[in-house]
Amino acid sequence: MTRSIRTELLKLRTIRLPLGLLATAAGLTALVTILGAARAGGSGHMAPPPLDTAAGLTAMLTRNGLGMLMAAVFGVTVSSGEFRHGTATTTYLGSPGRVRVLIAKAIVAAGVGLLFGLVAAGLTTGISLAFVAAKGDPVALGWGTIARFAAGAILGSGLLAAAGVGLGSLLRSQLAAIVTVFVWGFVIEQIIGGLFDSTQPYLPYTAATTMAGATLGGGTSPLPFAAATALVAGVAALLSAVAAQTTVQRDIA
Amino acid sequence: MAVIEVRGLTKRFGPVLAVDRLSFEVDRGTVVGFLGPNGAGKTTTLRALLGLVRPTAGTATIHGRAYGDLPDPLRHVGAVLEASNFYPSRRARNHLRVQAMAGGLDPARVDEVLELVGLQDDAGRQVGGFSLGMRQRLGIATAMLGDPEVLILDEPANGLDPEGVRWLRELVRGLAEQGRTILVSSHILAEVAQTVDSVVIVDRGRLVAQSSLEELTAGARRVVRVRTPRAQDLANALDHDGVRVERVASDRLEITGATPEQVGMLAARLAIPILESTTEAANLEDVFFRLTATTTEVEGSR
Repeated sequence: MTRSIRTELLKLRTIRLPLGLLATAAGLTALVTILGAARAGGSGHMAPPPLDTAAGLTAMLTRNGLGMLMAAVFGVTVSSGEFRHGTATTTYLGSPGRVRVLIAKAIVAAGVGLLFGLVAAGLTTGISLAFVAAKGDPVALGWGTIARFAAGAILGSGLLAAAGVGLGSLLRSQLAAIVTVFVWGFVIEQIIGGLFDSTQPYLPYTAATTMAGATLGGGTSPLPFAAATALVAGVAALLSAVAAQTTVQRDIA
Repeated sequence: MAVIEVRGLTKRFGPVLAVDRLSFEVDRGTVVGFLGPNGAGKTTTLRALLGLVRPTAGTATIHGRAYGDLPDPLRHVGAVLEASNFYPSRRARNHLRVQAMAGGLDPARVDEVLELVGLQDDAGRQVGGFSLGMRQRLGIATAMLGDPEVLILDEPANGLDPEGVRWLRELVRGLAEQGRTILVSSHILAEVAQTVDSVVIVDRGRLVAQSSLEELTAGARRVVRVRTPRAQDLANALDHDGVRVERVASDRLEITGATPEQVGMLAARLAIPILESTTEAANLEDVFFRLTATTTEVEGSR
């Protein structure tokens, strides 16, 4: 397994896509945080609360959902990229144990996904606190809370990246898997959560964002941190397990 | 001793029977051409041998084991399947480094195989910018990473220019001289005729011939052409002996099913003067096309 993990890491180090996705995630996270912080306390009904309030600072610190979703997209590319470029043949000739390869990919993607979360959390925290400092406002949240939000974003991103590996293995089509990630995160979960408030904490992407401190609409309470972590990890494991039993075993023709 | 054994291999893709109860063996240290027209099941068979395709029935083993059961398979088997199996933005050297790590191989082999295939100066280039020929060379370098005893090459000459084909032929010949066991597929017999010891010919997933090249041509038709002023007399005599004769001109015969010696002796006995005699040996391509004619005709009629 160690060799498989080292191989997967070397694969990622020798292509540009992971850095490109990380840069995209960082850019989008920085953009939405800056735009939000600039409008915080403004007059429009869509404007976030002022940054000197706990709600306002929380709203800015948790603007890392897009970065977390990009971690899932990264995970998708780790597995489905093998089929997009036809490299699955070479991979399975070198490592015929397909489930072992899948597990190695999930572990490595989760590890790199932590980096996506770290960058996203670092940017939201840094930009938010910079705006707070620029306005001379007090920091409305305790440092422990801010650290917990960051830790949640990091862990949630890692788990979403692992889930992305499972999804990419299951669908094989990179485009279909990436579209699925965005449609699931931005459309399906929003519709389900909007129709049934009580389901929100149990929706995997939403649960990952609550790990990073996001609040839920309709006064719904998020799952406790450990339970949310277990839920997202469970989804990642389930996707990989289903893929291992089905698509991963298919012919490479 | 057989290194590669395919026994009763059958593979069905939905309604399509790609390989049908195929059996053959490849002995240690031999170079075997795996021939058949496009769609004959060659690639499917090779992929089954490499554990990439799961047989519907039968077995395909190397050293008596399924590919996936071989310990560190890249040390035993090298394979070239498709020239497009590379991540386009990965550099050639890095592609080899990845595969060396996956196979638990010495990283020093990377530069050795790059030199073997003449890509040492292009090792730092992204594979996406490679020509088809360069990709084939990189594929061969990948196959040679583990210095394997067994090589499985699927249409390795595809995309190579004439110089590349000659390079490949010399490389395969050199590898064969080192005692490696090589199974090389092609849909063009001439491509492999100068390199292989024997051939396995498949058609529509079935074995149609397994023999040495000599055996393949020995039993094949050859034509003896003679020029004689008494063509009709000779034709009658040959016909009497059950030999097929065609009078193509007033003084010329084309004789099938008799050796030039038999024709000459018969003519001498009857005092028929032979002014000219030539023999056209059966062409390997002709034999190949005859053996696989059904598929070719079917494909041609589509």
